[in-house]
Amino acid sequence: MNIQFKKGVLELCVLVVLCRKDYYGYELVQAISKNIDIAEGTVYPLLRRLTKEGYFKTYIQESATGPARKYYQITEKGKEYQKVLLEDWNRFISGVNNLIGKEEVA
Amino acid sequence: MNKETFLSELKRSLGRMPESEKKDVLYDYEEHFRIGTAEGKSEDQVAASLGNPRLIGKSYAIDSLLEDRKEGGQAPASFVLRAVFASISLTFFNLVVVLGPFVGLVGVMIGLWATAISLPISGVAAVLAPLAALIIPQWVSLGGLSAFFWIFGGIGVAALGVLAVIGMYLLSRLFLRATAAYVKLNARIVTRRK
Repeated sequence: MNIQFKKGVLELCVLVVLCRKDYYGYELVQAISKNIDIAEGTVYPLLRRLTKEGYFKTYIQESATGPARKYYQITEKGKEYQKVLLEDWNRFISGVNNLIGKEEVA
Repeated sequence: MNKETFLSELKRSLGRMPESEKKDVLYDYEEHFRIGTAEGKSEDQVAASLGNPRLIGKSYAIDSLLEDRKEGGQAPASFVLRAVFASISLTFFNLVVVLGPFVGLVGVMIGLWATAISLPISGVAAVLAPLAALIIPQWVSLGGLSAFFWIFGGIGVAALGVLAVIGMYLLSRLFLRATAAYVKLNARIVTRRK
C-alpha cells in the first residue's frame, strides 16, 4: 500500500486506539503493527507530534515486571480531533466504496 | 543492526534539534528496545521492525523545523532552505512538488533582484555621464542630449531604483514566508497533518 496513505491512516488509528485506554509506546506500536503492516518506528514521530499539539499527554509509570514505561493518554482536544478524523475517514471510505461498486456495475 | 547503531544513526539524522529534545526522542526508542529484548527478541529483530533510523529521524527533523517557524520570529533563508531540503530528502513526491516550483521561483527572484539593483547603478552612471563626457570625450558621448537631461534623468532612475530595491526586499521576505508555509503545507499533505 502507498506509504503516504498509510501514514495518514496511521494518525487516525493511533487516535482511535488511544481513545480506548492509555498505552505505553511499545504496547501501542504492537497493537497497531499487528493489524497494519508498517515500519514500527513511524509511530513514535507521530506520537510526539500529536503530543506537542496537545492531543496526548504522557506520564511515566513503574511496571511490576520491569523498568518504568512512558504512557500516552488522550486529551479532550485529542478526542475531539479523533471524532473529526473518524468522520472524514468514514465519508472517504463510503465514497470510495461507492465508486468501486459503480465500477463493477459498469 | 544492533541497538547502538540504530540509536546513533537516529540521533545523527535528527539534525539541529536541541540536545534535550534529542534525548527525549531517543528515550522512546530506548524503552522500545528494552521492552522488546525483555520479550526475547534480539536487538536486530527490534531494529528491523522499527525501520530505517535515518528516515525516522528525518520526520522528527521536519516536525521540529516547522515548529520553530510556527513559534514566530524571523525567517532566515538558511531556515527555509533547511526545511526545503529536509522535506526533499524524505520523499520523491516532495522532490517534484517542492523543488521544481522552488527553483523556478528562486530564478525569478534572482532576475527581479538583478533588475532592481541595476536601476540605481545605471541612475548613478547617468548622473556621472556629463562629467565623464568632459574628461574622456573619446569614450563617452551624451548622444546630443543636454547634461541636465542626464543628471536629472539619472536622479530619477536612481530614486526609482532605490524604491525597486526596497520593494524587492519586501517581496523577498514574503517569498521566504510563503516558501515556509508551502513546505509546511506539503508536510501536511505528506503526513495528513491537520
